[in-house]
Amino acid sequence: MDPASTPLGKLLLDEITPVVMVLSTPLVEEACLKNGLSLVEMLSPFCVFNNIDVPVRTASDQPYRIQKFKLRLFYASDIRHPNLEVAKERLKQVITRAGEKDDLYSEPPQTSNLLSSSESEIQPSWFEFFNKELVRTMSFSDHEAFDHPVACLLVVSSKDEQPINRFVDLFNTNKLPSLLNDGAMDPKILKHYLLVHDYQDSDQEKAAKILTDMRSTFGLHDCQLLCINSSDHEMVERQDNPWAPYKSGDSPSQRLGCFLNVDDYNEIKDLLQDLSSKHIIPYMEQKIRALNQEVSATRKGFRNQIKNLWWRKGKEDVADSPAGPMYTFSSIESQIRVLGDYAFMLRDYELALSNYRLISTDYKLDKAWKRYAGIQEMMGLTFFMLDQSRKEAEYCMENAFNTYLKIGSSGQQNATRCGLWWVEMLKARDQHKDAAVVYFRICDEEPLHSAVMLEQASYCYLLSKPPMLRKFGFHLVLSGDQYKKSDQIKHAIRTYRTAVSVFEGTTWGHIKDHVHFHIGEWYAILGMYELAVKHMLEVLACTHQSKTMQELFLKDFLETVQKTGKTFEVLKLQLPKLNISSLKVAFEDHRTYASPVAASVRECLWRSLEEDMIPSLPTARTNWLELQSKLVSKYRESNVCVVGEAVKVDIEFKNPLQIPISISSVSLLCDLSAISDELNSDALSSTVGPQNDDGSSNLTTNRDMSSENFSFSSSEVDFSLGGGETTLVQLMVTPKVEGILQISGVRWKLSGSVVGLHKFDSNMKKITKGRRKAKPPCDNLKFIVIKSLPKLEGSIHSLPEKAYAGDLRHLMLALRNPSEFTVQNLKMKISHPRFLNIGSHGNLKTEFPSCLEKKMASEQSGVHANSNNLSQTVFLFPKETLIQGEMPLLWPLWLRAAVPGHISLYISVYYEMGDISSVMRYRTLRMHYNLQVLPSLDVSFQVSPCPSRLQEFLVRMDVINRTSSESFHVHQLSAVGHQWEISLLQPVEAIFPSESLMAGQALTCFFRLKSCRKSLTSTDKVSTLSPLLGSDVSLRPEGSNEPLFDISCSPLADFHLCERLHQKMSHQGDPNAVDFILISQPLKDNITPGIADPPHLFSHHACHCSTSSTSPISWLVDGPRTLFHDFSTSLREINLKMVIYNSSEAVASICINTFDSTSTSGHLSEGTADLSTYPSGDQTGWHDASVVNNIKVTSDVHVGAQVGKSLSLESVPPFIWSGASSTRVQLEPMSATEIPLQICVFSPGIYDLSNYVLQWSLLSSDDSGNQEGKSQHSGTCQGYPYYLSVLQSA
Amino acid sequence: MATTACFIIVSRNDIPIYETELGSAAKREDAAQLHQFILHAALDVVQDLAWTTSAMFLKAIDRFNDLVVSVYVTAGHTRFMLLHDSRSDDGIKSFFQEVHELYIKTLLNPLYLPGSRITSSHFDTKVRGLGRKYL
Repeated sequence: MDPASTPLGKLLLDEITPVVMVLSTPLVEEACLKNGLSLVEMLSPFCVFNNIDVPVRTASDQPYRIQKFKLRLFYASDIRHPNLEVAKERLKQVITRAGEKDDLYSEPPQTSNLLSSSESEIQPSWFEFFNKELVRTMSFSDHEAFDHPVACLLVVSSKDEQPINRFVDLFNTNKLPSLLNDGAMDPKILKHYLLVHDYQDSDQEKAAKILTDMRSTFGLHDCQLLCINSSDHEMVERQDNPWAPYKSGDSPSQRLGCFLNVDDYNEIKDLLQDLSSKHIIPYMEQKIRALNQEVSATRKGFRNQIKNLWWRKGKEDVADSPAGPMYTFSSIESQIRVLGDYAFMLRDYELALSNYRLISTDYKLDKAWKRYAGIQEMMGLTFFMLDQSRKEAEYCMENAFNTYLKIGSSGQQNATRCGLWWVEMLKARDQHKDAAVVYFRICDEEPLHSAVMLEQASYCYLLSKPPMLRKFGFHLVLSGDQYKKSDQIKHAIRTYRTAVSVFEGTTWGHIKDHVHFHIGEWYAILGMYELAVKHMLEVLACTHQSKTMQELFLKDFLETVQKTGKTFEVLKLQLPKLNISSLKVAFEDHRTYASPVAASVRECLWRSLEEDMIPSLPTARTNWLELQSKLVSKYRESNVCVVGEAVKVDIEFKNPLQIPISISSVSLLCDLSAISDELNSDALSSTVGPQNDDGSSNLTTNRDMSSENFSFSSSEVDFSLGGGETTLVQLMVTPKVEGILQISGVRWKLSGSVVGLHKFDSNMKKITKGRRKAKPPCDNLKFIVIKSLPKLEGSIHSLPEKAYAGDLRHLMLALRNPSEFTVQNLKMKISHPRFLNIGSHGNLKTEFPSCLEKKMASEQSGVHANSNNLSQTVFLFPKETLIQGEMPLLWPLWLRAAVPGHISLYISVYYEMGDISSVMRYRTLRMHYNLQVLPSLDVSFQVSPCPSRLQEFLVRMDVINRTSSESFHVHQLSAVGHQWEISLLQPVEAIFPSESLMAGQALTCFFRLKSCRKSLTSTDKVSTLSPLLGSDVSLRPEGSNEPLFDISCSPLADFHLCERLHQKMSHQGDPNAVDFILISQPLKDNITPGIADPPHLFSHHACHCSTSSTSPISWLVDGPRTLFHDFSTSLREINLKMVIYNSSEAVASICINTFDSTSTSGHLSEGTADLSTYPSGDQTGWHDASVVNNIKVTSDVHVGAQVGKSLSLESVPPFIWSGASSTRVQLEPMSATEIPLQICVFSPGIYDLSNYVLQWSLLSSDDSGNQEGKSQHSGTCQGYPYYLSVLQSA
Repeated sequence: MATTACFIIVSRNDIPIYETELGSAAKREDAAQLHQFILHAALDVVQDLAWTTSAMFLKAIDRFNDLVVSVYVTAGHTRFMLLHDSRSDDGIKSFFQEVHELYIKTLLNPLYLPGSRITSSHFDTKVRGLGRKYL
């Protein structure tokens, strides 16, 4: 690649060219100004020679030809170091002008587009111009020679008086640039004299005469005449004006050079070509040769080098000033530099390089850093132009750059220029990445320059292969910040806008926030609020930012929004966050709910509860739609709601920020398309809902709030969210006409200024209230609105949330129907009849608990247990019950907290519409209450038969107060069943010394229970279930005359039946089981005064307490205990009596065997014990059960504890059983019989009459055909010890 | 201890999954985003360099003014990037190696989805401890 054709090559060939100093008189300028041009401007277009073809011979003898050449013309006054401030101002203007052209509204470029387009398309075109201007601010420095004028052009007008003297005056040292005056360069430069003649002024003859004078004075070849303004009549029109590019400013280009015709044009061209080829180039050649000779003489060769080194060493003590020692033009160092620069300008790069190298070390040794840097810079460029040793070129440039920077602020400008050249060099070699780094290093304190440099750096990253997009973005942002610092907001926005496209979709939160926030801020400064808001929206949900940043973001955002003066509607506003998965829709079709709690209960629970209550139609779900079958066919899957009844939507709002935000006017977006004709349902006559669903535009200005439409009304909720808070909001929409209601989204207002919208996306919608199973989700928010129906409202008054176990209360169910239509055919079902019982309408006004108190027998019929409740789970209200208007229907309920724990009570009320024509025929009202039951009294009973009495039992009652603070009065204990009689064993005072049961106190007391049943008839058996007659015992102290409670009354009896059902045990059929009800009352002291607490009653039920311990057969041997007899006369016969009672429900066959032998009896005792314990041993039939067999089988099994006792009996003189040794009786169920027994005693002594066994077996009351299924019991019982003392009578 | 250090773990999809500011420098408001910008831009360099060497520790690969970016690339192409202003290569290397170990432990957690944000406070504490130890 030819270095000269690269951008840098072109730049160098442009910029490092011989300078011609122009000195002119005012009259010359005046003549030129007629064309709108200064002299230099007029001549400049002709200073570029593309095909000059001049032979050049420099130091070597080999000549070469220069094709392209250029001269730079400057007024003498311009040949000085440019004023930095002016230059800066000019650069700033360049940038500002470029900024004005930008269209900030246009779409920002996309990254993919940027990558595919070429360099020139991406970079703003003014970069090149800016760089050139920046380089020019560094021209005419004294440390480098290529800006030093090579020649001087003295121009005098023919109108000037004494033109010869004017020429002399022009080259007056006072006006010359400082470069010449202070000795930095040789004042003896090539002079060329030019006489300008204006045709419009006078004849050419005068000019010719002056020219002759000049030639005689200054020499023949150095003087020339230039005639201009030849066309005095017509304006010369040019298509492509050669002067236009050179003329800065805005003057119309057509006017430029309007008096210059073709002759003038050619004359100027010839003049300058002549000047360069015949004067300047030969002069430079000559000078190079002369200087080269001198340098060779003084510095080349081994001897000179040693000498030079020696001489330089001697100058060690030179002050280390940044500029280094002053070198005059005559010093050898300056001459070498001039030689190098001239050689460079004449493209003899080899010669230039060798001279640069020569002088470089000298400057370094002299510590003339600026000059050293300049030399290094030129060396780098020379290497580049030679296209060799890239490394060295770069090294030189870097060295130069660093050295410039080292000398402090004065070198900064030079460093910038050096850096720019370096960048161009790297760019020419496609080292864009390195170029970017250099650009970055060029940045100085001046923010504007830095901004441009950083922006250029960013484009370098984009152009590098592979493109480094992140670096590109980063440097754009850096550049934007610098632009902002220098008040170039438009540029700042431009860079950031490009950066936004780079950082689009990034997950680096801080980056995204920074870019969007700042660009938004700047748009706001420019007054482009809508764009500003658009960008600021992106940063609102910045959870990762600190609190202050979040505050700042939100504040700025709101301010910007306020400045727009509009209310924005933003789709998917991120503040606050909507938790879509929390979306819950509650609506009421035929299922209505008394409370929100009830609505949240799972549907299957309600269904199982209502199963046998609601009419079972084949398509139960659609039965109400029969009248609208057409409509149904179309919207079968839609939900149904009723006019005037609200559809509630629960949705969760979350504030992601740490700062509080206020949300107002949260409402639902709905469409309600009304149906005008019910039958012609396909014709949806009009769509009256607000059409809010144009989701296409992201930002739409607000239309008037139409939620208060006549077709529906929706609720508005205001709330504020603290940092990180989550709030569940319930929104309602109430349709007012029939039709189809579609809930499409939710809208809210953030801080009263921004409206956020959120559309419920039909795909992601998930309704947790699955009222309808297996339904496509897209229709979940679509409702068919049907005409208004009566809706019952129900509540249970005074239902406690907490209760102690056993608490019995009187509650009131109130049902209200606000609509004017009647409802009828009410039914009710309760999930836990054990806890909640339905009273009868009669005891609506009764007083509790006095209604339960025992009254006279005649009054009892009023509140009798309605035992039918139990079998019939659905409670039917009386047929005539109609609920209408204001009057609520009250119905009594009984609550009894049966067992401790958390109980959910579900109550469902079914009702039918009085109006048959209504679409929905029935509805249900669902009520749900939670009840916490705390443990109170633990009651347990143990019943053991009384050993001495038949049909009597000893009852041990253990009561523990499990509460933490409550104390109870134990009021009464009742044994349920008319056959039982219960009585106290001890006086009450002995049991309850403190009259009450304190918290945690345990108590044991004993009662006597007596069965007064003589025989069991079939009627009795039936009646055991229903009437709960029983015997009560008051446990209150004697003095108190509080009445006993009647356990056969409605709630107590009902609950007792429930308890019986619930506490069912395996031996259910046991007729001897006894149920106890313990009634207690809390101590009155505990009730806080002032609060009218309803009277409490606690009932504890213990059911199926078994009385029979081992066998159903019980017996008692009765007879004399002590007898006197004179055994000397005769033996004594003693008559005894055995009473046997069969407590089972079956006929028992009993066989009494007596044994005389004690040893046998001892054996037997074991055997019987065994048998009685394991009654399933050998029980094929009662008739097979012979004593002998039993003995044989089981006698040797155990050696029981009774053996010892039996053995001890051996010493006792025996007695014999007289009479039958085996007696067999059949005993009817629940009956007793008496069997006479007789023994013979032969001597006095104490006799234990226990050596008999009772063998019993139960025959089922049914036939034997059912025998296999029935359990048949049989067993053997060892006789009781019965001690009989027989004494010798005196 | 370096006066400024910012440590970021970048998943293979260029998503930052863990960020922390180490070091004793007073927090500046714009520091967080500047650090992110620098590290984000340095990913470009990592992209080039990661495939030129088999070593996981890439040393200081990029710099911005006086801040240096050191990078460690795991086998799964998760990048640990440390922005710091001190130049103790050995300490940084040890830091990276120990963090790598911690990171692998996190990966072994069956409840951690690779490539998702590391929210474990235990990990955070450990990394900060390592920062104090080595940087």
